[in-house]
Amino acid sequence: MRPRARSGRILAYLVLAVWSAVVFFPLYWMMSTAFKQPMDLFPTPTYLPWLQFQPSLAAFHALLTDHRNEVFGAFRNSLVAAGGSALIASFLGALGGYGLVRFRYRVGRVTNDDVAFWFASQRMLPPVVLVFPFLVMYRRLNLIDTAAGLVIAYTVFNLPLALWIMRDTFRNVPQEIEESALVDGATRFGAFLRVSLPLAAPGLMASLLICFVFAWNEFLFGLMLTFQKAQTVPVLIAGQVTQQAIEWSSMSALSILAVLPVILIGLLLQPLLAHGLASGGLK
Amino acid sequence: MLNAGEIGTPAAARAIRPGWFVRHERWVFLAPPIAVVLLLSIFPLIASLALSFTFWDLGVSAGGIRFAGLYHWARLLHDERFLTALRTTLLYALIGVPLQYAIGLTLAVVLNMDLRGRRFFRVFFLLPMLLSPVSVAFIAGRMMFHETQGPLNHALSALGLPIVSWLSNAKIAFLAIVLVDSWQWIPFMTLVLLAGLQGIPTEVLEAAELDGSPRQTFWRITFPLLLPWTLTVVLLRSLEMLKIMDVIVVMTGGGPGIATESLTFYAYQTGMRNFNLGSASAIGFSLLLLAIALSAVFLLIVRGWVIRVSADGNAP
Repeated sequence: MRPRARSGRILAYLVLAVWSAVVFFPLYWMMSTAFKQPMDLFPTPTYLPWLQFQPSLAAFHALLTDHRNEVFGAFRNSLVAAGGSALIASFLGALGGYGLVRFRYRVGRVTNDDVAFWFASQRMLPPVVLVFPFLVMYRRLNLIDTAAGLVIAYTVFNLPLALWIMRDTFRNVPQEIEESALVDGATRFGAFLRVSLPLAAPGLMASLLICFVFAWNEFLFGLMLTFQKAQTVPVLIAGQVTQQAIEWSSMSALSILAVLPVILIGLLLQPLLAHGLASGGLK
Repeated sequence: MLNAGEIGTPAAARAIRPGWFVRHERWVFLAPPIAVVLLLSIFPLIASLALSFTFWDLGVSAGGIRFAGLYHWARLLHDERFLTALRTTLLYALIGVPLQYAIGLTLAVVLNMDLRGRRFFRVFFLLPMLLSPVSVAFIAGRMMFHETQGPLNHALSALGLPIVSWLSNAKIAFLAIVLVDSWQWIPFMTLVLLAGLQGIPTEVLEAAELDGSPRQTFWRITFPLLLPWTLTVVLLRSLEMLKIMDVIVVMTGGGPGIATESLTFYAYQTGMRNFNLGSASAIGFSLLLLAIALSAVFLLIVRGWVIRVSADGNAP
């Protein structure tokens, strides 16, 4: 090996080591703080479990007993809002993506690519532009502080992404099988539902999971369209953190609980990431 | 006349003129998503513009709404707080995105090398992206930078250095927010740029290595080939950075004073705290105009670049 190449590799390992520390330390801090008790936080921080502080499940215990209603409520709301919107957005995205791949649309000078771009451009809209009209609409329709209201709002946010993922997916789904279904007398929509959609399952899965994560972590709409009943997990966390006396341990524990579903999804997505996401979703 | 541009319809089916529904079948697929976007995105967008020309106080239960003309828009031009938020928002993007790109690219290049354990690091480095921004702001923001209980100041004082009031000094608090956002979103840069790097054929790189140093290979071959990916992540991250809000709410609440307020944060304060929907909509809409202007400038620059690069024969 040439000396230059070797020094390059040493430098590369150094970069890996430094960045690993940067990524690791705050995560470690979150995890260790969740197992600390108030006395371990003052007057100076403690670092090592068993040596400097005795790990305790008190914070988790308090979350699941004293704050049970709030915590369970927030998780239920987030689950409904994120799950519902991911399902609806992915289905609508599959419809649109399938249409844009299989048919040619022409209205005046507007063609398929223009329509696809129009959908993508929706994602550039800053949410704050939409949130005030939503507030007014939702007050009229009694959708303020409801999970249904959040499902609708998050569907709008996720639709462009879902549509692009599904459009890329259907490009790679062979037409022959659905054509033979059509010859056998299936309607277009029937062939789409029973033949094409199952063939697009990996892309659909990626779309569902990515939409879920986006909605799960969303903050602005959750903050402005809910008060108490339909409060989501990020809103619950932010609400506690902006108070004067922060319960560091219980907020860390809550953050851990909040990220668990996403990590689970990340593990599920891993095999899909290789082809589905990297080739299309992010472009 | 049949204007169905359908692919794969058996020619026989066209001989018998199909019914109206069959001829317009393709709209079964595209109409629902278009309807959703029109109803829930385009309509609110127009409504938001309309709101910005009204006085609408949400606090009044009677719901008094009056025409305001250009009042809110004219006021913004003289509103110190708005101008500060505008400048701060731009600075978040202008300082944050290049920083994130530089580190993200470095990591992507390293992760693309044939190093031991790279599969582990590729996954491990993505972790911050999975957390909710609110959690990140709490963990990497409030706890790390805490003045007395935070590990950063603890380390400083252990080294005999003076401690820093991270979140109560205007400039430092701004930087702390940029750093926290970067901690979370550098992985996104790395993810996309790594995908781009992996798409470069190894033969091209090997051929280049024969007659140049790795540094030359990088700047003459890799970097130009990566340009489309670079432009994508820089534009996406810039647009995201302009919307920054969650991190600010949790870390500083816009303070000290109004030093770290972004446009989204100011609009939120105006709409939800002061119940002034007209003014809040004008602020929100001005953020949209900013995003559009930025994208337009960006696309113009990109077109210039791409034309120049293709003229050099290095077309991406």
